[in-house]
Amino acid sequence: MADSLEITTLVVAALSRCDVPHVMVGSFARNFHAFPRSTKDADIVLAVDAAGLNRFEIELGRDFSLDPQTTFETNTGTFRHILIHKATEFKTELFLLSSDAFDQERFRRRLATSFNGHRTFVLTAEDVIVTKLRWHRPKDVEDIRDVIAVKNAVLDWDYIHRWTEIHGTGAKLDEIVRTIPEID
Amino acid sequence: MSGDFQPLADELYRERVLRARRTPPEERVLEGPRLFDYACAVTLAGLRSEFPDANELELRQALRRRLEIARKLETTN
Repeated sequence: MADSLEITTLVVAALSRCDVPHVMVGSFARNFHAFPRSTKDADIVLAVDAAGLNRFEIELGRDFSLDPQTTFETNTGTFRHILIHKATEFKTELFLLSSDAFDQERFRRRLATSFNGHRTFVLTAEDVIVTKLRWHRPKDVEDIRDVIAVKNAVLDWDYIHRWTEIHGTGAKLDEIVRTIPEID
Repeated sequence: MSGDFQPLADELYRERVLRARRTPPEERVLEGPRLFDYACAVTLAGLRSEFPDANELELRQALRRRLEIARKLETTN
């Protein structure tokens, strides 16, 4: 039976072949910028229309099914499709790029990288922090702490502060920074 | 956490951060799915022990239910 690494690789490879503009978010982005934690599913933001989504589904083949219903994701305020690998029910959440100013900005700033040999894109460390400050669930607080601890010296703090001011999340950020022990 | 253990916890965290900085990010992202697959294998072993008469399909279904619970806990916390 396919494992989640193999399934995620198939999804990323299909995105690359279809040339779908995308960015890996969620735990993928968190692990890219901090240290690895188990990832139960993959979260990807796509800039694609219905025809492009259909081409991507065809490219993936019969091992996958795409939930035809778009749902509204309340945490992120974006529309979402669920892609399921039929044999394992491993889920990939596909979020459609929204018109939200920050959603647009973080997509524009995404970093090119590779996943298991296939070209993909990932959120910057600054955008992982700003995104997770908006959600502020317990696991997001841990993730923010870990990303800052690992990347502190190279973070663009002016950019982070600009968005935390807009989102009203500056106090939450200060509180998290205070809990990080001295690293260097 | 008790103040007695905080310095030790901080030191362990520091070591983890420094190790992460030495690991290329492309390698770190591959570890996420690998850790998940390992966690699933361990959970399946536990389910086999708990339900020795269950077949492979029933065990997979039980694993899926547990993963759904974990997802719900993550989104509601």
